[in-house]
Amino acid sequence: MDTNDAECRTLAPYDVEDPPRLSVRGMAKSFPGVVALDNVSLEVLPGEIHAVVGENGAGKSTLMHIVVGVYQPDRGQMEIDGIPYAPVDERSAQQRGVAMVFQEGSLFPSLNIAENIFAGRQPVTSLGMVDFQQIHNHTKDLLRELDLSVDYRVLVSDLSPSQRQLVEIAKALSQQVRILILDEPTSSLTISEARQLFKILHRLAERGVAVIYVTHRLAEVFEVADRVTVLKDGRVTGVRRIVETTQDELIHLEVGRELSFAPDPIRAPADAPVVLEVEDVVAPGVANASLRVREGEIVCLAGLVGAGRTELCESIFGIRQLVSGRMWVGGTEFTPRHPLDAMQAGIGMVPEDRREAGLFLAMSVAANIVAANMDSVSRNGTIIDAEVERLASRMAETLNIVTPNLEREVMFLSGGNQQKVLLARWLARRPRLLIIDEPTRGVDVGTKSDLYSLLRELARKGVAYLVVSSDLPEVLALAHKIVVMSEGRTVGELDASQADEVTILQIATPGGVAREGGRS
Amino acid sequence: MNLNGLKQLARRIAVDRPLLLIVLIGSLSTWMTISYPEAFPHWDNFAAVLLDAAQSGILTVGMMILLVGGVFDLSIGSTLAFSGIVAGTLVKDFGASPLLAFLGGIATGFVCGSINGLIITRLRINALITTLAMQGILRGVTQLVAPAGVANLPEGFKPFGQTVFLALQSPFWVMLIVALLAWFAMNRTRFFRQFYYVGSNPRAATLSGIKVDFVVLIGFILMGTLAGLAGTLLASRLSNAVVLAGIGTELRTITAAILGGASLAGGVGTIPGAFLGVLFMSLIQNMLIIARVPVFWQSIVVGVVLLIAIGIDQLGRRGR
Repeated sequence: MDTNDAECRTLAPYDVEDPPRLSVRGMAKSFPGVVALDNVSLEVLPGEIHAVVGENGAGKSTLMHIVVGVYQPDRGQMEIDGIPYAPVDERSAQQRGVAMVFQEGSLFPSLNIAENIFAGRQPVTSLGMVDFQQIHNHTKDLLRELDLSVDYRVLVSDLSPSQRQLVEIAKALSQQVRILILDEPTSSLTISEARQLFKILHRLAERGVAVIYVTHRLAEVFEVADRVTVLKDGRVTGVRRIVETTQDELIHLEVGRELSFAPDPIRAPADAPVVLEVEDVVAPGVANASLRVREGEIVCLAGLVGAGRTELCESIFGIRQLVSGRMWVGGTEFTPRHPLDAMQAGIGMVPEDRREAGLFLAMSVAANIVAANMDSVSRNGTIIDAEVERLASRMAETLNIVTPNLEREVMFLSGGNQQKVLLARWLARRPRLLIIDEPTRGVDVGTKSDLYSLLRELARKGVAYLVVSSDLPEVLALAHKIVVMSEGRTVGELDASQADEVTILQIATPGGVAREGGRS
Repeated sequence: MNLNGLKQLARRIAVDRPLLLIVLIGSLSTWMTISYPEAFPHWDNFAAVLLDAAQSGILTVGMMILLVGGVFDLSIGSTLAFSGIVAGTLVKDFGASPLLAFLGGIATGFVCGSINGLIITRLRINALITTLAMQGILRGVTQLVAPAGVANLPEGFKPFGQTVFLALQSPFWVMLIVALLAWFAMNRTRFFRQFYYVGSNPRAATLSGIKVDFVVLIGFILMGTLAGLAGTLLASRLSNAVVLAGIGTELRTITAAILGGASLAGGVGTIPGAFLGVLFMSLIQNMLIIARVPVFWQSIVVGVVLLIAIGIDQLGRRGR
């Protein structure tokens, strides 16, 4: 391997005067109702590992999708090595040496490594047959270069996530890649696998490949990158050399915005009865979680994507079975095997993915509200239409659902009204505890503020909430108490009045301050 | 009626599947009455159409409920034949009482449906593969049990399928009762309403506290039981349990249900729709017979009607 490295290094004769490998200027892109990118510029040098960081929705993915030709920008230019570059699709991006390593899904699990790397562009012999000799030799070289010690005939379905990722990188390398983009590459890797990946990226950079590394894990940026561009709400808020910046500065660049909603001044009394207690719960995706929610309290679960917040909620609601640990609802021990058990204990849940897991899109507003309330609108197993009508119209009125009538299919409602329909479904049950995963995703600002006041008002009447939100201003505005999760564990608990975004992010970031303090 | 009113009527007919079917059935009947005045508009002919609709109708009720729940059953033809053979064997070879044999036939369907449902919900093998496999297995078992069928069933077994009431044979009345009960159940009862939620979005249904697997299991058991009922009635009506009975019924039944407003995507469909779909199919069949169209054409027509019905369904969904 050492000799290989040495060879690589001699292959990087890049001069400082060369134009940047990739230059993006004045990039703008809007989707209906959202400005995803607003005048974004990015410059990546040959042989550089350039990190792009930002919160969810900052525009990282949109920018990368433009660079690889998946989206077309509204405005803005790009150049590669000083020559204009305007890809119309992924294929034209590949022809200019731009490749993106996807998290998953671009490999064929039932084909072997070599077949995957050369999918769709197998070299042929003079007789028009696939030149397997060449494919195999080439693949062997690539695998050696990436320190991937598996045979090229192994099926991709038999590889670990990290090995699959290396195959994706090998695929990019086989196409004479000049700009390699990785989007959250370590999300499914262990720490040692991530280190291995970093080593390989450094080696590629030494060969002159420009690497763009998209991540929300700031700790990694300091391990792998040379420079970093920070995005926030579709704009660039800073470009820094890694040696001249700190994690705290990057967090400030990521967050730095005003709170749009004032926090709730009223708190549930500290001695209010505990509605839900979770102790040392271990479940698929949850490494160890403990928390308490009191009557009238809004507890927000904060953390990065993949921190296990949704998984914890699903365990409480009976969708995931506990491996170990205990839960109590209202002081009674509680082991839900099905959402029905959780419902009977007085728990409701509005899931994260409204369209996939929440709504019956082709069914009416009334039918959607009644879905979890069939017991209260029927007698002796027979549904009473008048009761359905009464319940649906009462809830539609309480939540101010905007719909022409209750027979309208929910697919025609706006995102905000769809969310209200889901809340109506559960609030009609008068739950003791309502779990809401991402309460305002895809909801307009006006409805957002409606929802906040509604939740607060009901909290004052004693309803307890467990809210998952990736939107930190929302967490700060809505929460009475904040429980921070990181890598499947509950790692910190803050009173909302003492919390700010920087503190939360520091606790939530793996390898951050809290982790080092907590584990050593 | 002014132009606007006509337009509205046209739109309502296009959207409202039962209404569309009533219009189609009405115009088809009118046309047949004019074209074949000597063969079509007679009570005997209507009775034949309704008798033909009886067997498909019983099956289509079950299929409609399954399709609303987002699944379907391809094994019904084999279940039907097997149940008839079991009933026939019981009453003829084992000397069971006619009533016991009749119930035995229905119970056979119940068991077949339960096997389908358990395989699908417990082993998580999809409905297409499971019921396709069962179609082959049950047909084979039927031939194994009675290679030549069971002919000349005793007199006592005949009344179930041959009693005439109000000038119509009993299978029609059985179908009517089954359809009315199912209509009430799908419209009114809490349990059967769950099929709409399960078919519309199984994940959301689970998260709303619905036991999706149990609902699907009951759907298959019901379908099997109805196939058993249809098979036993057929054996009784013909005084003969036929090994090859019910071949191709799944095609006719699914076609009738889709025509009646069901969608392969699940979540929609009504029992009146299924009833009208069956009536329409029987009318087409009757038309082909009266027009002396060769038998193989009937299968072609049914296939074409199924494609058209699914095409309409797809177009309707794209319009949204």
